Amino acid sequence: MEIIPVTEKNSLEQDNRSVKRNEVVRTENLDFFYNPESHALKNINLSIPGKKVTAFIGPSGCGKSTLLRCFNRMNDLLPGSYLKGRVLIDNKDIYANGIRLEELRKKVGMVFQKSNPFPMSIWENVAFGPRVNGESDKHTIEEVVKSALEQADLWKETKDRLNESALDLSGGQQQRLCIARTLANKPEIILMDEPASALDPISTGKIEETIIELKKNYTIIIVTHNMQQAARISDFTAFMMLGEMIEFNDTKTLFTNPNENLTEEYITGRFG
Amino acid sequence: MSSNKDKYFRKLYLQNRIVKYIITFAGFSSIVSIAAILLFLLLESSPLIKGAKIEEIFSFSLPDPDKKPLLTGTDPYMRVYYIMSKDGVIKFYYASDQSLMRSDTLSNFSEEKILCVSRGSLMKDVFAAGTDRGRLITFRIRFKNDFIGQEPVVNINLKVLDIYQVDPGQQQQVNHIEELIFRENDDLYRFYAWKNHHGGFNLRIYDPDEEENYLHDIKKILPADFNVSAFTLDFEGSKLIAGAKDGRLTWYDISGLKNIELIQHWEAYRTEISALGFLIGGQGLITGSAEGSVNLWIPVRIKGQEFEFQKINSFESHSKAIKLIIPSPRDRNFLSIGSDGEIHLNYSTTGRTQLKFSPTEEIVSMAAFSPKSNAIIAADSKNRFGFYNLDNPHPEITTKTLFGKTWYEGYDQPEFVWQSTGGSSEFEPKLSMIPLIFGTLKGTLYAMFFSVPIALLGAIFLSQFGTMKMKQIIKPTIEIMAAIPSVIIGFLAGLYFSPLFEKFLMEIMLFMILIPVFFYITIVLWRFIPAGHKTGLKTGFELLLALVPVILSLAAAFSFADLAERVFFAGNFQQWLFSVIGVTYETRNSLVVGFALGFAVIPIIFTVAEDALSNVPESLVSASLALGASKWQTVRRIVVPAAAGGIFAAIMLGLGRAIGETMIVLMATGNTPILDINPFNGFRAMSACIAVEIPEAPVGGTLYRVLFLTALLLFAFTFVLNTISSIIGDKLRKKYARF
Ligand SMILES: Nc1ncnc2c1ncn2[C@@H]1O[C@H](COP(=O)(O)OP(=O)(O)O)[C@@H](O)[C@H]1O
Ligand SMILES: [Mg+2]
Repeated sequence: MEIIPVTEKNSLEQDNRSVKRNEVVRTENLDFFYNPESHALKNINLSIPGKKVTAFIGPSGCGKSTLLRCFNRMNDLLPGSYLKGRVLIDNKDIYANGIRLEELRKKVGMVFQKSNPFPMSIWENVAFGPRVNGESDKHTIEEVVKSALEQADLWKETKDRLNESALDLSGGQQQRLCIARTLANKPEIILMDEPASALDPISTGKIEETIIELKKNYTIIIVTHNMQQAARISDFTAFMMLGEMIEFNDTKTLFTNPNENLTEEYITGRFG
Repeated sequence: MSSNKDKYFRKLYLQNRIVKYIITFAGFSSIVSIAAILLFLLLESSPLIKGAKIEEIFSFSLPDPDKKPLLTGTDPYMRVYYIMSKDGVIKFYYASDQSLMRSDTLSNFSEEKILCVSRGSLMKDVFAAGTDRGRLITFRIRFKNDFIGQEPVVNINLKVLDIYQVDPGQQQQVNHIEELIFRENDDLYRFYAWKNHHGGFNLRIYDPDEEENYLHDIKKILPADFNVSAFTLDFEGSKLIAGAKDGRLTWYDISGLKNIELIQHWEAYRTEISALGFLIGGQGLITGSAEGSVNLWIPVRIKGQEFEFQKINSFESHSKAIKLIIPSPRDRNFLSIGSDGEIHLNYSTTGRTQLKFSPTEEIVSMAAFSPKSNAIIAADSKNRFGFYNLDNPHPEITTKTLFGKTWYEGYDQPEFVWQSTGGSSEFEPKLSMIPLIFGTLKGTLYAMFFSVPIALLGAIFLSQFGTMKMKQIIKPTIEIMAAIPSVIIGFLAGLYFSPLFEKFLMEIMLFMILIPVFFYITIVLWRFIPAGHKTGLKTGFELLLALVPVILSLAAAFSFADLAERVFFAGNFQQWLFSVIGVTYETRNSLVVGFALGFAVIPIIFTVAEDALSNVPESLVSASLALGASKWQTVRRIVVPAAAGGIFAAIMLGLGRAIGETMIVLMATGNTPILDINPFNGFRAMSACIAVEIPEAPVGGTLYRVLFLTALLLFAFTFVLNTISSIIGDKLRKKYARF
């Protein structure tokens, strides 16, 4: 993937528009192209606060996932894609030269739409992150695994079957295992791309509880197509359409008193 | 409308049914054909384990019980048999109805009695008889097949070749020649060793070129306390073996004609040696003792110096003393006959007693093989004759000769030998499967050494790091590689590559050593280049980068090869190999085959492994990368384990191909069936051996059947491999691949 740096700086104005204090992720004039014909993100300027849940909503295909993947550079894998503008995490440009992808991704964890546990034991799944990041002390790993599973609210169900294959877990359990796996890396930010879209209501509820619990310690950015979910769990919500950021506001305001007409039309279900 | 629909559904149903039958039929017929192949191989090779069978054709009693028979035999087609009795009369009978055909008299003195007769050769019917008047009568029987009209007629020619009067000595007493061993070798030299009734033991050698007789008094040469109880001569006329009452044996070299040389004098038994006999080939000596034990001895080079007879096999003992040893004129079978009349049929090399039988209640006094060794004639002390059909197709094959070490004549120790054909009729086929199995494994091993790393690394690279464009070019190219007929690969390897390999051996070896070193250096240097210079380089560039160490090591190999050869291998690697390690460098060696066979195997392993690796779900790769794993960590910890089943199957498929591959190993090796893992000499694989030898093998013969057994083994090998691979592959797939 190509990164085209932007020289002009017009981000201050944007900053003032949203939450300034406690900013963890900021994008500046972010443009993303899957290929020259597919302009997926258009001039996104965004400032995401720490230790909060921020939700991205918008009609399918509007670029929510694309934007999320810009934060841990998962889009890099796609040949032919390129990016303009800047993404700053903790005030550091993550697309700058000399950034180590492995470190970035350890810091910015990701939970995918479809649960994807490795074909290994539950324990090995959770221990994978620490191990590949150089942790070799068995004791430390042991503790990290336990704490990660506890935070993901999976410890009680799995503590007696840690050596069983992760693929034997139920769908909801698998997704919580994926969350635990991400937590084991001790990230600062957790990106979640529609983590509950493939789950039944009960499992979804559990995941939501977990997310609310995690908010205390982590910055969470979640993509969802479910507006009720966004309203339930998020502190801030961004509404996107056709690759553009239409409105970014605290959740309550956005759902009750949106600034933009498009937002109102969308949340009242007039399209989407 | 509704009938139209009906019609349509009926048609659909019919189609379904037909397709189902066709598929079922195809599936069944493939199973049936595999089973049929297996059955055929089994049927063709199973007679190898069939034992010997003997069956009486006819028997009759000689009318005159006083006329003790001394000699019997038959023509090669067993139409006529002959019996010679004490009065010197030889009677020829038709085997079909036992009617007398003709009768001849050997001796010209009516009173003269024949006391003993000895067969002079295994190939021709020459005999010598010793009489009570001290005469040695040498005669020949010749059978000629003529035709009168359509009827085949056996013509018999009996000719006395020589009559020799033994010198009566000072006492002017007549010698009774009591025991006689006669030989006429291929150069028509005649050897007569006899004992007379005064206890004398003499040897006469007749030189046909000089028309000269050489006489030796063996009694005088032997130690004074050597009480001769048995003696024999080999069919070459070079060895005289005498056995004593106290179990000692002595070996004289008589090939000097004029002088006799003692070679070996040893204690064989604690009891009397009661019978001695040489086998075809003139190496194997059979001894029989008064206690009934039977042993095989062959001359073995002791410490690389002198030959000495060494006991290499013991046969099943008789309950009584051994009376006669009769060698087969065809192979290394022999009859040992005990004084109680029991006959054992033994095979010397295997040490196996194949058959035990007592033809009559009486004591067997004489026996003979038919010229083709397919019948036995035996006569008992009451002049009863029996004619027995001998069905003994594969005496030389036992599990031990096929899979164990066997001690053959001319070898210093038991060995695994494959040597199916030899120059002379006395040649003994040596059919050990071990060198062939070893050869197959050796070839496979070298091929896998070469192909597995290349194919797997290539598959990993292409599937995980390659761009779409690279995939589009490389995959079809390698698939085309798989389609190259193996005969072409073998041809190129054997005729073009192997001489090149030999010429640039040093360079190639140096290159192999240098390339990892240079790769390592390149990678280390690459890391030092600041990151800023690296971004913007396209994927696939690393391939270009990889060329750098390849070119560098090639250049280094070519410039330093001479130096390396001079410094490490005294200037000439092949000479060094021979003198220091003792390995003869063969142009078509295992490395060449490894490369060639590897070339055939790489596409299989590559394609299957690449598919397996590419099919690892993208979601797993993403998950791993998102957890901060590097690309390589992801490949090693996630992709490769997840594709393990497929990779394993790929290697097994390659292995199966390498094991069964024929043309390449046939053409690219010297096909020498040796047991040596060294990469610089060749081997003979099972498949190539079958291909080389089956056209030469007489149908139904031992070699033919052993080759079928080889095929069966090969079949079993691949079958077992495939079974293992599918079982383990399934397990791996179950463990890793439930996405
Ligand atoms: N790998 C890709 N290659 C090309 N275009 C893509 C790719 N992934 C997504 N897109 C396009 O980018 C746009 C945004 O997609 P995405 O971010 O997945 O939307 P959302 O997650 O909001 O549904 C869509 O129009 C989609 O077709
Ligand atoms: Mg999406």
